[in-house]
Amino acid sequence: MALRSMTTRRGFLKASAATAGAAAAPYVITSKALGDATTPPASDRIVMGGIGLGNMGSGDQGGFLGRPDVQYVAVCDVRQKWREAGQGRVDGKYGNTDCAAYVDFRELLARDDIDAVHIATPDQWHSIMTIAACRAGKDVYLQKPETLTLREGPLMVAAARRYGRVVSGGSQRVLEDYRTIVDPCWAGELGRITSVDLNVGPPAMACYLPAMATPTDIDWDLWLGPAPWEPYNPGRCDGNFGTGGNSWRSYVDYSGGSLTDWGAHNFGGTIFAAGLLDVQPTKIMYHPASDDGKSSAFVTLTYPNGVEVHCNRPQHLRPQDVKTAVTHERGITIRGDGAAVAPRAVPVYSGTGGIYGDFIDCVKTRERPFRDIELACNTMTAPHMVALTQRLERSLEWDRAAQQFKGDDEANRLLDRARREPWTL
Amino acid sequence: MPFDTTTLDAPFAALKSFDWGGDAAPFKTIDDAVVAAHADATLRADLEKRFAALLGTGTSRAAKEYVCRKLSLIGTAASVPALAALLGDKDNSHMARFALERIDGPEPVDALRKALGEVGSDLKVGMIASLASRRDAASVPLFAALLTSDPMVATAAAQALGRIASPAAAAALAAARPKGPAADAVIDARLACADAFLAAGDRPAAKAIFEAIAAAVATAPHTHRERAIRMAAQSGLFAAVDDTVAP
Repeated sequence: MALRSMTTRRGFLKASAATAGAAAAPYVITSKALGDATTPPASDRIVMGGIGLGNMGSGDQGGFLGRPDVQYVAVCDVRQKWREAGQGRVDGKYGNTDCAAYVDFRELLARDDIDAVHIATPDQWHSIMTIAACRAGKDVYLQKPETLTLREGPLMVAAARRYGRVVSGGSQRVLEDYRTIVDPCWAGELGRITSVDLNVGPPAMACYLPAMATPTDIDWDLWLGPAPWEPYNPGRCDGNFGTGGNSWRSYVDYSGGSLTDWGAHNFGGTIFAAGLLDVQPTKIMYHPASDDGKSSAFVTLTYPNGVEVHCNRPQHLRPQDVKTAVTHERGITIRGDGAAVAPRAVPVYSGTGGIYGDFIDCVKTRERPFRDIELACNTMTAPHMVALTQRLERSLEWDRAAQQFKGDDEANRLLDRARREPWTL
Repeated sequence: MPFDTTTLDAPFAALKSFDWGGDAAPFKTIDDAVVAAHADATLRADLEKRFAALLGTGTSRAAKEYVCRKLSLIGTAASVPALAALLGDKDNSHMARFALERIDGPEPVDALRKALGEVGSDLKVGMIASLASRRDAASVPLFAALLTSDPMVATAAAQALGRIASPAAAAALAAARPKGPAADAVIDARLACADAFLAAGDRPAAKAIFEAIAAAVATAPHTHRERAIRMAAQSGLFAAVDDTVAP
């Protein structure tokens, strides 16, 4: 399918040129606008903006900014230092001062010249911004973890599908870091996949950091957005990758902690390898720590095809003599039954340039990206369910069609959380 | 072994004046009791009573926030009056909803609906969102009346009607003539209703909405948003065609 926005811009340029010629009015087409051997003409470039330009956002920005088929025009961040740094990178790249900078993402989304956005904010914003972008007709590259609650996934998928948007999740590692387990599984070398062990990090924790004076270079209310109001403290909002109490990724209002942060990668690679991308767990079994102290608590997810994914299962409880197994250095073991299984081609990125290229290519072709939002949200159900089970310390059953836990009111309370006004889904 | 509730006295006493940056270690006992309350109705009632008592005056904002988080897990109708009293309080309204939204039964919904008519615009948006999350059919006429309210409230009301997605909600949206941002929200909500009808097998109802929206945007400017709406309406129309009926 042709890219609608490209078609329109191309048509606009043609019409403009014709009009200019007919009226003999001055009309200058720069060499940059026309493109060259390595740069497509302006009418064929995807016009992009970025929301959230901190650690991951700046990396994503670099991935898109370096592409000749992208014209980067706007940045948005509630923190002045990230906003100005992002703007500076764009202006430096193009040698002009054309990049617009916004504090409020709604202003950026209101620009009709922008085709696509990348979003790399703290997680409490992901669903609201993604759905707003879809409603505005933008395609979206969304940093992982894509969801903060179980309820958000279906709403994001519905928005993407309703408006025909390309929405890609943002874990480049899923394909690039786990080939040592992906390739043998897809080649059929293990037979039918039967079980998986993987180690996952801890969930997010409550935050009781003291109040500090809010600096003038951050819009604190907008940083919090739909999250509960809490006083400013740099430990809440600084954007490094720590999950041990030294960044927003540590805290439950803004993140699922290491469990969902690294979990998006580890579950992502594992679920991809094991062929579980289209499904969600049906049973989530909580195994309490043993009274003798020999076994710590762990969780087992059972998928509809019977595959069991054990999370943090103690080593001495794992099968020791499985011949048809593959392992990954990040604590992942996938086992099969050794049956004859036809090999399948491993899905890979389209286009060139890794996951960024995959997204841009799909924006052009309207195909679904490698980490399509539905597959990403399916993946994210796993760490979210592990977190719920650990919190409740009991086993759960999941009804995917109803998007509810069976017969467990307390678990269903945790499907979502009230958002602070005026933010709604 | 039953939870020893005497171990809760000191942490609850400390909680009343807790502020951010204070020592949260004593709350581990309360957290453990909340988990244990799942299988202990007596403990649950005891905890709920203690929590509700802290929602009055003289308790810090940080403490009330902590209490609301816990009541969101174990609260019942018994906690609703104390939580409802916070709905009009700008500092605590959101966290009261945080709990009320999750408490089962009609009592929290009644409280939210009552507050909807009493609070100002900023907080009204929160009431609307929470009632929508409960898919409260009785709120539909209230939301319909708010579609001509200020843009922020009208937008939230439209979104809420789309989330409820009942025939009454769809009818209210079809009759609405808001302007500005709320008009966009009405279109989104109508599409959400149509998708819900389609998923439920009511193709005629879905088709009627898709047709109306397709007609409404037929001559609209070719912006990204209008194109996305056209796509939604057209793809919806294809999906709504009943291919079991011969032409």
